[in-house]
Amino acid sequence: MERVGVFICHCGSNIGAVVDCARVAEAVRNYPGVAYSTDYKYMCSEPGQEMIQNAIKEHNLNRVVVASCSPRMHEKTFRACVEKVGMNPYMFEMANIREHCSWVHAGKNEEATEKAIDLVKMAVSKVCKNEVLQKGHAPVTKRALVVGGGIAGIQCALDIANNGYQVDILERTPSIGGKMSQIDKTFPTIDCSACILTPKMVEASSHPNIKLITFAELEKVEGYVGNFDVTIRSKARSVDMSKCTGCGTCMTKCPGKADDEFNMKLRKRTAIYTPFPQAIPNKPVIDRESCLKFKSRKEGKDVCGICAKMCPAGAIDYEQEDELFVEKYGAIVMATGYEQFDHSVYGEYGYGKYPDVISGLHFERLVNASGPTQGHIVRPSDHKEPKTVVMVKCVGSRDPEHGKSYCSRTCCMYTAKQATMIRDHCPDTKVYVFYMDVRTPGKLYDEFYNRTREEYGVDYIRGRVSKIYQEGEQLIVKGEDTLLGQQVEIAADLVILANAMIPNPDSEKMAQTVGIGYDKDGWFTESHPKLGPVETHTAGVFLAGACQGPKDIPDSVAQAGAAAVKVCALLSKDQLETEPTVSVVDTKLCSGCGLCVPVCPYKAITLETIQERKGGKTVERQVANVNSSLCQGCGACTVTCRSGSANLKHFTNAQILAEVDALCQTMQ
Amino acid sequence: MSNIQNEMRAVAKELLESGKATVVLGWEKGTMPYDSTPVMIRSAADVDKLIWDEYCLQNLSTYLIDFINTEDKVAIFAKGCDTRAYNRLVHDRRINPKNSIVIGVPCSGMKNPKVAAKTPEGAEVPMANACKECRYPNPVACDQKIGSDVTPWCTAKDFSDVEAIEAMDADAKAAFWKEQYSKCIRCYACRNICPACNCTNCIFDQSASGWCSKDVNASENQFYGVTRAFHVAGRCIECGQCEAVCPSDIPIMLMNKKFIKDIDTLFGNYEAGLVTEGTTPLNSYQVADPEEFM
Repeated sequence: MERVGVFICHCGSNIGAVVDCARVAEAVRNYPGVAYSTDYKYMCSEPGQEMIQNAIKEHNLNRVVVASCSPRMHEKTFRACVEKVGMNPYMFEMANIREHCSWVHAGKNEEATEKAIDLVKMAVSKVCKNEVLQKGHAPVTKRALVVGGGIAGIQCALDIANNGYQVDILERTPSIGGKMSQIDKTFPTIDCSACILTPKMVEASSHPNIKLITFAELEKVEGYVGNFDVTIRSKARSVDMSKCTGCGTCMTKCPGKADDEFNMKLRKRTAIYTPFPQAIPNKPVIDRESCLKFKSRKEGKDVCGICAKMCPAGAIDYEQEDELFVEKYGAIVMATGYEQFDHSVYGEYGYGKYPDVISGLHFERLVNASGPTQGHIVRPSDHKEPKTVVMVKCVGSRDPEHGKSYCSRTCCMYTAKQATMIRDHCPDTKVYVFYMDVRTPGKLYDEFYNRTREEYGVDYIRGRVSKIYQEGEQLIVKGEDTLLGQQVEIAADLVILANAMIPNPDSEKMAQTVGIGYDKDGWFTESHPKLGPVETHTAGVFLAGACQGPKDIPDSVAQAGAAAVKVCALLSKDQLETEPTVSVVDTKLCSGCGLCVPVCPYKAITLETIQERKGGKTVERQVANVNSSLCQGCGACTVTCRSGSANLKHFTNAQILAEVDALCQTMQ
Repeated sequence: MSNIQNEMRAVAKELLESGKATVVLGWEKGTMPYDSTPVMIRSAADVDKLIWDEYCLQNLSTYLIDFINTEDKVAIFAKGCDTRAYNRLVHDRRINPKNSIVIGVPCSGMKNPKVAAKTPEGAEVPMANACKECRYPNPVACDQKIGSDVTPWCTAKDFSDVEAIEAMDADAKAAFWKEQYSKCIRCYACRNICPACNCTNCIFDQSASGWCSKDVNASENQFYGVTRAFHVAGRCIECGQCEAVCPSDIPIMLMNKKFIKDIDTLFGNYEAGLVTEGTTPLNSYQVADPEEFM
């Protein structure tokens, strides 16, 4: 017989100020199945929980309903509470009378109380139909995959590896290093980016627990937390990694030329190339788009082949093809970073047509000693040193109309950094910065900004630039100084735009492949904006770095460490508990139509053949079968199934009908 | 007509004599002139029972469900709508295409037996309702064909009757359907004849499940009607058999057509029963599916 205990929580005044909790407890006291009913100020508090446990013992309760906040908040708490006194945690049910009632009906106390009574009656009706469920167990593959080999990915992999777990870094470009390898100096200390990055790159590549998978892409992710099957596409490098010694001879005579992406297309590179001198692995790839041999093959010819002739190790392999392979991982960290906003959408900045209007990342390459100008700050158009530089902030950021609505967080600081670097390199050059606001929260950040103005004499003008146009050799920058309330016109030699950070163009596709959420801009969504910043809604998938939203290096590194801890916590377990709230198929009712198979987002349903006796003989037929490890309990199959053979445990058709019936009875 | 009938008999004879088929499903003349009822022929001697006239309305492909576990090789005669039903049943994995031979018969539209029953002999009888709107008089797929293709008399779906209901206000709609379903005697003829209603265990036979009781009253009847329409949504092949067999003249196809119209609007034009595999608008999951309710 059902003996339900009902506990109505005031949640201080959160519920109590709107809902008459004592009246709710009284109203359900004689409801079918209810053996005990009471209310209390804080049900989740220790005395509140003791109250539930004592009532279970005293009144011999076998089911419990707590009417309080959202199950997302305290379902775990109360399940643990009843479990401590020997009750199956799935015999507990929660009625949400806070988010679903008191908070949304403030001021309508009478109606809110009536609604709370209905919600509790529904929960009681459901809990009466609840069944004892047991958690399952799944093994854990003790190896992690970090997708993206930038600073976040490298740091995360190092942290996981140093905890003693195997970790693979998957990087789509030929080398790890990411955006940080393109940056010259880092704020607020102006230390050399490469100097602090390359040791980490070397450490990652030589770590016994880390395997680098470069020039490869994520193709497919199957499986579930602890047991992901990841299909990786290893792109054809055209160089046999096992034979190549990285001597670089092949690159010396390559006649194929292409824009050097690493140097922001400010110079050319060869078709067989390593992206930068400190690349890891320091083994080249052939860019088949610009390779003369591969281009000629498209026209039915077969020319060149110089690199193969040059290579002393015979490592060049023109016949290599993309390879797909499947690896097993227990956890996945997404660290896919960001891209730079393309300012060519802005007509006022010249649609990206003026060679001397460059982005922040262009400047990083210009000022870098191994960059296209050996570190001399010169104009891309005529290689002359600029005498006047204008910097424009918020290009694409905080501009919902043409760009993104968000603040890219890093631009204020990197603009200040670049301004000081210009003043350092070219002390006679005047630097102006157009800004909307200066946002420098961070340790030593505001001090740095003040130094930029006060010690380096950089002129900050509050206002937006309305137009940039070429006049002779110079660029005329027109804007408004909103503090003085007057128009400004500056004849500049070089304009540097602080372009916004945007997600990778294929971040949405990537999120869909991995099965995680993404926001309207394409950043990956964390499971909770405050309390789950590195977790995703998909168990076993974590976030590190700028793929979750604009971040600078210290934040990315900190988040990478946080994600690594979560991964290690997962991998340290020998078995994972699995939720029993999964779908099951009643094979007696199943027609085997298979319509549930394509609706399952987790590919958890397959058709299996069963044998049964029919008309005196054994016949075979197909029925749906749910893999309880893959099933996430979304219920898509149960609403697809016409005969009602698919049923979601803990949310069964009968349980939901009981709730509907309870509601309809009060409505009559 | 008679040419086709002769061909049908010849084909049936050949199939049975050669052993290519052990059973032939066709139509025979019923007790009334407007009755042409299904017939199951196992012997070549009986092929002369087969007829082909303007009352061979009933879809025979649903009978194939009963043969899924038998050793029989079943040949059926199928009009355009019947072949769509056949495809739907194969898609739902309820019949075994390897055990069946479909003999397509182009159809010029069947007559309405309900009207015929009330019309004096010899007078003109109109086409059956579904046939009036038929866009697939020729078999969409078959193993062999008898007769030659006819020109479809409809090219686009006609939703004028659905639009008339849509134009009503909520109360008028509720009153309309309440009146219609108050006539329902829950004989389940509509379900039994429907090629999309092919579950081994129909939800309406599981009274303990709590979804729908066996009570015959306005509320339960309407629930039955709406639920059945949901269950065949996206799979209804518009044969109109449900409405044709309804002893209470409930306009069942009106509800089915409303679903067809909505699916076309929401997911793009869709024709059920043209293929035997792949996903249907209401039975697919894509990562990019919009989550407008979130």
